[in-house]
Amino acid sequence: MTSPIEGVMDKVKTWARVNSPWAIHFNSGSCNGCDIEILATLTPRYDVERFGIKLQGSPRHADVLICTGPVTLQARDRLVRIYEQMPEPKFVVAVGSCGISGGVFQGCYGVVGDIGDVIPVNVYVPGCPPRPEAIIYGVVQLLKSLQS
Amino acid sequence: MDMEQKLQAATDIVKEWTISTNNPEANRVDAVIAPENVKKAVAALLDAPWGYLSAITGVDHPEYSTDEAGVKHVIPDKGTLELLYHFSGGAVVFTLRLTLPYDHAVVDTICDIDMAAQLYEREAAELFGIDFAGAPSKEHLVLPEDWPAGVYPLRKAFTGLKQS
Amino acid sequence: MGSEKKPEKFVVSIGPQHPALKEPGHFEFGVEGEIVTSATARLGFVHRGMEKGTESRTWVQNLYLMERVCGICSHVHAMAYAQGVEKLAHVEVPPRARAIRELIAELERIHSHLLWLGVAAHEGGFDTLFMLSWRDRETVMDLLESITGNRVNYSANVLGGVKIDIDEAKISAIHKGMDFLEERTRHYMKVVTEDETFLGRTRNIGSMSLDLALRLGAVGPTARASGVTYDVRVDSPYAAYADFPIKVVTDTAGDLEARFVVRIKELYESFRVIRELIDHMPASELTTRIPRRMPEGEVVSRVEAPRGELFYYLKSNGSDMPERIKVRTPSLCNWGSVLSTAVGHKLADMPMILAGIDPCFSCNDRMVLVNQDNNLSTWSWEDLRQYGIEYYK
Ligand code: SF4
Repeated sequence: MTSPIEGVMDKVKTWARVNSPWAIHFNSGSCNGCDIEILATLTPRYDVERFGIKLQGSPRHADVLICTGPVTLQARDRLVRIYEQMPEPKFVVAVGSCGISGGVFQGCYGVVGDIGDVIPVNVYVPGCPPRPEAIIYGVVQLLKSLQS
Repeated sequence: MDMEQKLQAATDIVKEWTISTNNPEANRVDAVIAPENVKKAVAALLDAPWGYLSAITGVDHPEYSTDEAGVKHVIPDKGTLELLYHFSGGAVVFTLRLTLPYDHAVVDTICDIDMAAQLYEREAAELFGIDFAGAPSKEHLVLPEDWPAGVYPLRKAFTGLKQS
Repeated sequence: MGSEKKPEKFVVSIGPQHPALKEPGHFEFGVEGEIVTSATARLGFVHRGMEKGTESRTWVQNLYLMERVCGICSHVHAMAYAQGVEKLAHVEVPPRARAIRELIAELERIHSHLLWLGVAAHEGGFDTLFMLSWRDRETVMDLLESITGNRVNYSANVLGGVKIDIDEAKISAIHKGMDFLEERTRHYMKVVTEDETFLGRTRNIGSMSLDLALRLGAVGPTARASGVTYDVRVDSPYAAYADFPIKVVTDTAGDLEARFVVRIKELYESFRVIRELIDHMPASELTTRIPRRMPEGEVVSRVEAPRGELFYYLKSNGSDMPERIKVRTPSLCNWGSVLSTAVGHKLADMPMILAGIDPCFSCNDRMVLVNQDNNLSTWSWEDLRQYGIEYYK
């Protein structure tokens, strides 16, 4: 049983999280195509910061992990470590075909798999690379699901 | 200087170590040399100076056996490795080629005469298992630390890591 | 960070960043007080094993794989690969297709240089310039999208030609875009050569002499800023560069400022050649037929990527799959120049020096571990950047 005050607090937290999610971006082996599009969402044309979405440098301050690329042998442990460093509750958005299935890199010896193989993923954004609009849409979908 | 002259100049520079030459494309000449002469040949090209080292390519030439169905299989541990030192000079590419047997894949490093070679050599060392004698660093460059020793991904016999 | 501290060892691990085969690096900087005394590299965080991967894919499939070596310079990779395969198959690509390849390559160079300008400015703490150059970059992204259908990884090439064409409407859109960008680029030139604070971070920093650049095998704008005149587009014209030539842009200063100036001047060259291309686009087919199995043989294909010479070696064994493909990306050559120019500079200059070679700094997940008296503490790349900015305040 949650006390009424806890219920209110939870509502406040969700409200804060949904209105200003902080994200961290990690590239686990991508071709950078997805990464430049993620960066583009921060720049004047798209400017997600005006919606309160902020890209953070440290996983310890982030609510959302935005991942790109297939996961390489060397990046796997780092990806897991970054995921573990994030405070609960945490959410993962996998951007790009590579993050969904390994994309064109499927079967290369340096690739262990897609992001879903390594950490739990909440939202997948398809495309190679997805347009900045699609990436924003993906994050919005995540936020919507948090609200309900 | 036109392409032919430029290529001829390179061919002349390394003439004393050359075993044979080949002209695969209009703007390319390949010169086959013995592995022990690589340092001398590279130094002669750099001192001339003739172009710059563009890349070092490794190529695996395993021996194959053919089964009854006509399918080719790689015979493990039998074969040779080839190293190609590509030098670019303007429009032309001059390549020094040398062949190393699997059981003695050792060649002198050229890092001490060309600093640019270091990353190329370390890459070939890791991916093909070629030992560059005297190389300043033999640490892993591109493969993870826990990559099994003696497994060289760009050899034809490599078909993937065993799932552990 | 007083200078009276004992010598410290910094381990700078720059996380997955340059996307090409193995470029993401991990650097270790040895530091005495403020001054960097040694630097070594460890690469491979996004080593995916693509060269091996090519051996189990067909020639056609590999086109899509090679395009994704690097998302920033995807077109040049696909073009270098396609040209190599065409040489193997002994087919001639029609002139219009070659002109379109050059057009896309130059548009891509504009996008890449603007991207770099923004990121390098960001590393130096000039976020306004970062935002402005990325805003303007959207102009060229729009053009690329309208021509090819995708903003990144345009997939314009097929083996034997290109699959896109341009028409009158697109030509006038390109003209408009070029006019706008040219005006903006003039402004950037003024900023990087006149702004006092900017010059404080770039003039006489990270200098590399002509001699050193040659010995280190530096390529691209990094080398040209030191006076090296290599440019594959001129030395060994491919695509339509023989009919629509560019002029090599060089500088003699060899410092960071020169690297900015060279890249910006290259933008002018790109604008000029693009205008020429669209005004005199040759008429012809867009593709030729190409066999599925390539005759036995080996070829070398070189192109000038935004970051320098890109080198492809292709070997065919006569089947529909390659025997060996070797890719040597330009950033691989330029790491050497970073490692040796870093020595003797202040730690605060590192972000700019690293950014100076344009290693596709596009991620924000870089970490710097500072090993102080054996106490391992962590610095993020952000901290190092901030440190650099504070230092120069
Ligand atoms: S999905 Fe496409 S653009 Fe994104 S990392 Fe993979 S290959 Fe690159």
